[in-house]
Amino acid sequence: MAKWGMVIDLEKCTGCQACSTACAMENNTLPGESWQDVLYYKEGKYPNVNVKWFPRPCMHCENPSCMHVCPTKATYKTEDGVVLIDWNKCIGCKYCMIACPYGVRFYTDEKPLISPDIKDAFPGQNGQTYSPPYQNPDQDWTRGIGIQPKGVVSKCTFCHHKISKAPPGVADLDEDVPELKEYVPACVRTCAPKARYFGDLDNPNSNVNRLIADKRGVRLLDHTGNKPQVYYLGDHGSVPSFSRPDKS
Amino acid sequence: MSDSTQTMGTGAGAISNLRLGIGVIGLLIGLFAIIGLLSQGHETFNTGSNIAWGLPVSAYVFFVLTSTGLTFVASLAMVFGMKNFYPIAKRCVWGAIATLLVGFISLGLEIGNPLRMIWVIPTNMATSSPMWWMGLFYLSYAVFLVWKFALINKGDWNSGQSKFVGIASFVTVILAHATLGSVFGMMGMRPFWFGGMVPVYFLITAALSGLAFIMLFINLDYGLNRNRMSEGARKAMNEQMPIIFAIVLGLVIVFNLARTITGLWSNVTEINIPMQHIVGTFWFQFEIWAGLVLPFVLMLTAMRSNPGVQALAGALVIIAVFIGRYEYVVGGQLVPLFKGAWYDDLIAYSPSMTEIGVVILAASIGLLVYAFGDKKLNLSDSPN
Repeated sequence: MAKWGMVIDLEKCTGCQACSTACAMENNTLPGESWQDVLYYKEGKYPNVNVKWFPRPCMHCENPSCMHVCPTKATYKTEDGVVLIDWNKCIGCKYCMIACPYGVRFYTDEKPLISPDIKDAFPGQNGQTYSPPYQNPDQDWTRGIGIQPKGVVSKCTFCHHKISKAPPGVADLDEDVPELKEYVPACVRTCAPKARYFGDLDNPNSNVNRLIADKRGVRLLDHTGNKPQVYYLGDHGSVPSFSRPDKS
Repeated sequence: MSDSTQTMGTGAGAISNLRLGIGVIGLLIGLFAIIGLLSQGHETFNTGSNIAWGLPVSAYVFFVLTSTGLTFVASLAMVFGMKNFYPIAKRCVWGAIATLLVGFISLGLEIGNPLRMIWVIPTNMATSSPMWWMGLFYLSYAVFLVWKFALINKGDWNSGQSKFVGIASFVTVILAHATLGSVFGMMGMRPFWFGGMVPVYFLITAALSGLAFIMLFINLDYGLNRNRMSEGARKAMNEQMPIIFAIVLGLVIVFNLARTITGLWSNVTEINIPMQHIVGTFWFQFEIWAGLVLPFVLMLTAMRSNPGVQALAGALVIIAVFIGRYEYVVGGQLVPLFKGAWYDDLIAYSPSMTEIGVVILAASIGLLVYAFGDKKLNLSDSPN
């Protein structure tokens, strides 16, 4: 069984947000429910300002704190190394959102980010929070795939509805290989500068493992012990520490 | 058996009726405020993906820990055999039930699918979760607490069964408060909360809020008049309770100062910046000076036996501990987690009217439950 992981090359990423858009389209997420986001940070003061951007999917940790704190085992780790949420078990206590060091989880029932409220425009049917006319046909609430019901937490699934159908034993899911492209996560497949790679971290011959070794891949907040399965390449695999804006 | 309810007089009756009135008005306000929750769900809350836990969770922590504190005081008589505390023990147990109920209602209206808990928690046995253990111990505590009250309400204070249930409720509440502390204290990714001392901090502040409720409610129950109390209750409230209250207040002041100073000194962003923000608020200054230091000073003077002074000190401490719970729960989430330019400052949060309504509703139900007990269950009863 594969242990799926992602590599993001920050030297190649242009911060175009195509990954975020593709994720939102693939998974029917609400505005603000950014399972995949590219975060922008600025450091320094004029005229020496540095703008950074940082793509942030769910890290699908080897040792996920969100899973350990869940009081109902709604959050679980699959055999292929992906952290998913069973919406039929989620009680909406939001403890996983507290315990995730990366802020990748979202609560369904919150004030709309923009107006008009999408939930009002497309009222929910069959238990869904909202029901837009075009939906990903792969709905599976036991894996947190599709449009969620009310009162649950959602997050990136590594497009589990795609990767779980990949041929067994494949080392990498590369969008440039025609017979594999349908199994590639939406954010990886759409990345124009090809900054994202997806493959089997347990396969020593996979391209993701070679990249991590050759280009010194790092994991975000490794000190937390969560051991993300998303690695960053490049010399700025971190985000600036928080500071309040200078109001003067 | 002594029955001091007959001697409580018109002053106590007026206060009891006033409390009943406040409870009914609060209930109506609360029901009106949560209409939005019933129709639109949690969109009416100002919590969400950035601040996951807000006012209702703060209220839950406050009230269940107050229940813990009330059980501690009841246990002085019922577990540790300190007979002077028997005259207030039944009142403490009923108060512990009422405050626990307030906490459960507040939490139940906050989470997304509360009814689902009934079957998914016992069928999945998520023993790695501190919250699972917290639920187990608080549920056990609730069962033992109600059982204990049922026994003493029948006049059974000292049978083997009564003693066992008293000890069991004391042990389970120790475990429950410790696991509640662990729910926060184990979160290494939230440095503002993290630490092995959090369960101890919860223990000592639970005792304080329980004592504060006793100082306020028991004095009001007797119309601020010691002559209406039985001799035992009078002795407990005049002599022991103010001393215990002062000692626990002193410990909490030391704890709070230590936490604040280390937080302000720390160079860990997630601790230092929220602490700076909190210390700069009016509410923090009120909490420390009016809510903790002033009652502590009052308890050091000869006025500490005065029922009016005790009630005032109790009320101020209740407000202070509530502010402290809110600062702690919300403060741990103020620094945005990987939000980039979405949030370039601390996350702004203030509770919505619905969230406030949830807490008013829960507190009013608790007040009415307590008022019912005060009128119908002879809470001043004690063994011969």
